[in-house]
Amino acid sequence: MNETSTNKRPLILKAENVHKSYRMGATRVKVLKGANLSVREGEFVAVIGASGSGKSTFLHILGALDRPNEGDVSFDGHYFSRMGARELNHFRNEMVGFVFQFYHLLDELNVLENVYLPAMVSCGVAGWLGTRGAAKARARELLETMGLQDRIRHKPYQLSGGERQRVAIGRALMNKPRLLLADEPTGNLDSATGNGILEVFEQLNRAGQTIVMVTHDERVAHRAGRVITLADGRVKS
Amino acid sequence: MYKLTLIIRYLVKRRITHFAVLTVALCVFIVVVVMTVMSGLVGEFKQKNHAFVGDCVVGTKSLVGFPYYEEFMQTLERTEGVEAVSAVVKNYALMRREGDARNRGVEIIGLDPVKHGQTTNFGQTLYHQAGDVTKAFVPAYEPNAVGCVLGIDLALWRNAQSQYTYDAQPAEIGLILTCFPLNARGAPAGAGSVPVSTKRFQYNDHSHSGIAGIDGSTVYIPLEWAQSLCMAGVLKRVTALHVKFCPAVSLEQGCIRVRTLWDQFRQSKQGASNAGLLDTVTVETWKEYRRAVIAPMEKEEAMLSVMFGFVGITTVFIVFVVFYMIVSHKTKDIGVLKSVGASSQSVMVLFSGFAAAVGVLASCTGVAAALLFLSNINRIENWLFERFGFQLWDRTIYAIGEIPHHAEFSVLAVIVLCAIVACQIGALVPAYCAARLRPVETLHGSRT
Repeated sequence: MNETSTNKRPLILKAENVHKSYRMGATRVKVLKGANLSVREGEFVAVIGASGSGKSTFLHILGALDRPNEGDVSFDGHYFSRMGARELNHFRNEMVGFVFQFYHLLDELNVLENVYLPAMVSCGVAGWLGTRGAAKARARELLETMGLQDRIRHKPYQLSGGERQRVAIGRALMNKPRLLLADEPTGNLDSATGNGILEVFEQLNRAGQTIVMVTHDERVAHRAGRVITLADGRVKS
Repeated sequence: MYKLTLIIRYLVKRRITHFAVLTVALCVFIVVVVMTVMSGLVGEFKQKNHAFVGDCVVGTKSLVGFPYYEEFMQTLERTEGVEAVSAVVKNYALMRREGDARNRGVEIIGLDPVKHGQTTNFGQTLYHQAGDVTKAFVPAYEPNAVGCVLGIDLALWRNAQSQYTYDAQPAEIGLILTCFPLNARGAPAGAGSVPVSTKRFQYNDHSHSGIAGIDGSTVYIPLEWAQSLCMAGVLKRVTALHVKFCPAVSLEQGCIRVRTLWDQFRQSKQGASNAGLLDTVTVETWKEYRRAVIAPMEKEEAMLSVMFGFVGITTVFIVFVVFYMIVSHKTKDIGVLKSVGASSQSVMVLFSGFAAAVGVLASCTGVAAALLFLSNINRIENWLFERFGFQLWDRTIYAIGEIPHHAEFSVLAVIVLCAIVACQIGALVPAYCAARLRPVETLHGSRT
């Protein structure tokens, strides 16, 4: 994507001076030491870094799955620190979609149900009765896009790694989120399958989807529009 | 909506859930069966004692008895709310069959069969004279002799399954009763000579009260003969007045009224001959009068309830362990749910609802199995007896025809409710832990 045109787009995500530390036994490990990041709408950003550099922690904070010890993150100008639990739940349900390294599909649900899970979470029994048809149609459409239209009744354990990851991407996109966060999405796949997943990401990004992807693999990272490096708890470039 | 879907899937797909359902169902099954049988036994026993005694007893524990009872009977009969009154002499005697030198100790109850039949279920306990209680002491073979009624276990033989061999007519048996009469001061009446009274009675019928202790040791004779054999002195005495209240009168209200009347009566007799004997008289409800036999059974029932309390605690613990394991295995699911916007409360509701579903399913299964078992319990017992000679309740000890098997809806409802609550309590901590789980702890690095 053209850099000049990207720069004109509005800022969607901003992490400012994010600090995060964990207690490991008696010692406190500082993972993030003032990380900053700005992501514009429609960008495909790859965060690269060595193992243990805090990439996943940073991604979780960007997706409001975790809170920083210091600093703040804003989405569309709204700071997470000022949001209540209900607003953050709503943010995770509507605004952001997660893709994890190990797919994390629910074993009890079939492929179709796994994809429309976010739609089920967003409404109660009565609401679901009204939106069920549309949600199922959207899930089917996503699975068709992923080439999984023949697998909708299958259970996750009946799928290959690549297929599971495509189901996970479908789930992440179910509620049409403005931001897609991917944590080592190809880390558990062979290179050919991983390449297929990256092609899906590229396709989504071309369609305007904002993506932030964490990876330790430079080849994977360079498929993104912008690559930033996380080292010593800070964003280097 | 996802909660309902996941609850159903967890119920159907998770094998550990099946074990939890099975365990809770088994607990419910045991509680329903034992409670039904036990409360049936206790209820039946109480009902039989109530029917045997009437509603209220004005009586003395002393074998000497108390005088002026006829006056008080008249007072009671005139009292509103009193349906019937029966005077009774209760004492002990030796009994032997004519032509047999062996004596056995028995309890004798002297009564007026008509009045006693109106006050208690005496008329219905008879076999040959059930239709006409006036003939209870009128022998079929010797109209001039005095008849008596024997407790059924004194008269008939019964097998291990509590079945008696009945005769079309009462057997022609003469019975000799030897009593030890006491005078109004409580001393043996004929001191210095032979202090006994002996009388021949003709066996005329048997009484089946359903109370083993009564049916195995009691001989019923006419009131006047009991007085003559057991009580010496000018003033006629009895040991108890049995009172029956009208259906509209509550037991407590009726007894309070009788107690008041008795106190007034006793006051009015102060200074009369042998008035001191009236001081030994108490007014008791049938429950108080028979508490010596009812209390142990009630205690057993209470102890059983305590034991079932432990069963309940065990259920809670089992559910806790199962749910703790489920939550431990489902941390990834919890992380995923939170990542797609599920709140902590909603995760807690998911696991609490899951526990409730386990409770409902398990208690329904347990109740259904228990009802099925109870409806066949007598058949099963008969089969065990015929096949292995094993009897659950020895009928020579437990005066029951068949094992009680009618479960009360209210009892079932309470048990089901307790099972669901136990499941909820058991799942409370695991559900709370699930709700508090931080998604980053479960999602990062855990494999599918």
